[in-house]
Amino acid sequence: MIKGSYFNGETSAKKDVSLYYKEDGLVGFNELDIDEISFNDINISSRIGNTPRYLNFPDGAQFETLDNASIDEMVEKLANDPLHGLAHKLESAKSFVLFTVATVIIFGWLFIQYGIPAFSKQIAELLPDEASQYMGQGVLDAMDKGFFSESKLTEKRQKELTALFNGLLKNIEGSKNYQLKFRLGGKIRANAFALPDGTIVFTDELINLAEHDSEIVSIMLHEIGHLKRHHSLRATIQQFSLAMFVMVITGDVSTSSSIITAIPVMLVESGFSQDMETEADSYSLEYMLKHKINPNNFATMMEKLEASYMPEYTVCMEAINGSVNQKVKAIKCINDAVKLSKDENNEDDKSTMDYFSTHPSSKERMDRFRLK
Amino acid sequence: MESTNTENGTNIINKPFEFTGKSGEFFAIWIVNVALTILTLGIYSAWAKVRTNQYFYGNTLLDSTSFRYTANPKQILKGRIIAFILFVIYFAVSNVSPILGAGAFFVLMLLVPAFLVLSMAFRLKNSVYRNVRFNFDKNFSGVYKIFAIPVVVMSAYIFVISQFQESVENSAGAEPTFPIFVFVLLGLIMLMAPWWEYMITNFKVKHAKYGDAGFSFSASTKNYYWLYLKMVLILIAFSALLGFGAAFIIPLFKSESAEPSAIMQYMPILMFVVIVPFYLWIFAYMATKRTNLLYNNIDIAGHKTKSELKTGYMMYLYLTNTLGMLLTLGLLMPWAKIRTARYRASVTSVDVAGDLSQFTAVQADHQSALGEEMGEMFDLDLGF
Repeated sequence: MIKGSYFNGETSAKKDVSLYYKEDGLVGFNELDIDEISFNDINISSRIGNTPRYLNFPDGAQFETLDNASIDEMVEKLANDPLHGLAHKLESAKSFVLFTVATVIIFGWLFIQYGIPAFSKQIAELLPDEASQYMGQGVLDAMDKGFFSESKLTEKRQKELTALFNGLLKNIEGSKNYQLKFRLGGKIRANAFALPDGTIVFTDELINLAEHDSEIVSIMLHEIGHLKRHHSLRATIQQFSLAMFVMVITGDVSTSSSIITAIPVMLVESGFSQDMETEADSYSLEYMLKHKINPNNFATMMEKLEASYMPEYTVCMEAINGSVNQKVKAIKCINDAVKLSKDENNEDDKSTMDYFSTHPSSKERMDRFRLK
Repeated sequence: MESTNTENGTNIINKPFEFTGKSGEFFAIWIVNVALTILTLGIYSAWAKVRTNQYFYGNTLLDSTSFRYTANPKQILKGRIIAFILFVIYFAVSNVSPILGAGAFFVLMLLVPAFLVLSMAFRLKNSVYRNVRFNFDKNFSGVYKIFAIPVVVMSAYIFVISQFQESVENSAGAEPTFPIFVFVLLGLIMLMAPWWEYMITNFKVKHAKYGDAGFSFSASTKNYYWLYLKMVLILIAFSALLGFGAAFIIPLFKSESAEPSAIMQYMPILMFVVIVPFYLWIFAYMATKRTNLLYNNIDIAGHKTKSELKTGYMMYLYLTNTLGMLLTLGLLMPWAKIRTARYRASVTSVDVAGDLSQFTAVQADHQSALGEEMGEMFDLDLGF
């Protein structure tokens, strides 16, 4: 006897009834004057926690009960369906739930860490080169408006460097629309960018760090590495897949604010880029070894880049502004800064914020180029 | 806590909603959903959605009878797949060509009102109480009319500005007129937003049905103007307070410390401590007042819904939910959802006139899940 409520399907009137069933599969109600119905014609909702169960009859009537145990018992006796209630069995087995928590955390992590990058890499390599060229057209325009101003390098210097760059491209397949551009970095300071359409931008500040042109070449190769490996396309696909993944998993998070969904994205985004930096480094290193360029140049530039963010360097550069022999003095500024930063690094050890920084620890990177 | 009083001869009984869901129980359902979703590469997500909704509906009781969610997972899956394909196309197109992307965005925007109607219809038709379905009239022309008005006004505004700009450019040496346009725009938005919100809420309520009984909505535009006005007044008062506070506190610190920049170092933290809670509070304030305004004005064949959400408690819920989820990387999400649902149910009730047995069921027709899934995929906020 299962106690519950009966709704005839025509109105919302509720009747308290008790349901009975027989060995031969006939189901009926004690209080109602209706024919017994075959169990096989009744649709029984699957169990979800301790929410009510619903039995739907062919004539549109519905029986609702909280007595889940009795319904389960009836289903077991009368139905031959091992799949009925499978999800609930899984959900109510404590050991299975614990196992699932562990699996979800581990698989989720593996998927984000390795699955998505590998998948994005495959897709990025399958897509034609045009895809990355179209992508993000106008990135440079946006950067020009936001940060950059016109380069202050002399035309002669720009031509020299462009010639160097084009010399490199001769040995690189599929590089015909790669081009070099110069901008005054301003707030961005010493830096270089590989834009999806094949444009590589160097800031004047970066050029001014170099004592020899081969130092600049090593950075050019690193940026070409980013282009060759379709990194911007990959990053976009990764971002997209990750957003989809987070959306599917969390379903809806309207019970709190949406920062929660941004956090895994942020954490992993930085991890992704580390990977790509290493790849671009490898590309640069390989090229240099093949074409007899000293890889030390790259390590030197990395060192200088790091040192250029020190306040002492900024002060030094401001002091020499407008004086004669500026180029020589600028080199002295950066070399002093490098020395200073080396001394400081020996004092306090590697920072713990490694995971949160976009670039792999610079020391590791420099070491790769020095060992050779 | 049922209370009785009599009105026009019928007995009015206040029946509260109850929510009987438990965090631990839902956690198990949720984590199994997540695991199966990952293992099936997202396909199970449709079943997961249905089970989650069924858990919440089934644990929501009114007059000791539960609500029931009857959507078919296969239908949701179909909607999801179509929406996903369209989303990928949209994403690819807007990355390849911003112009085509803008075109696709425009088309999507044109479809938003239709998605809204389809989504409401899908949700309500799959909601059952006492074996009687809810329903929603698919009145497409009505919803497009409501959406058309702000579009027309904004287009007119842009047209006027561009005309004006041209004439300014023609007359040399004119003063820049930028601030006036901004004020006009703000004014237009303030005038239109409350009215528009009323129109769309009214539309949703008036086209909803339980069985064959229509919903009626007794709020007026006045209520919505009042809600927005209060928000603006609070914002102004807060900005003024912040301004005075800053003007008062900064000199104090300056005299104490030798370095004038000392206070400036703490400025971002100070801003964070003061402004973020305020932002959360105003968010909670608008959400609770909106919900209360909606549910305190719905009448279904003489039965009136009531809602008494409190801003302070909602803010406390948002804050603790967010913190809990942050600290556990999302594992506390089930807990957050359950306690929010429990609180909402505890302050919602129905003034039942007589009893709830006289509603007549109506045969349900088939409703596609595409509208709802498009809404979810493109992050449009549809439904109640």
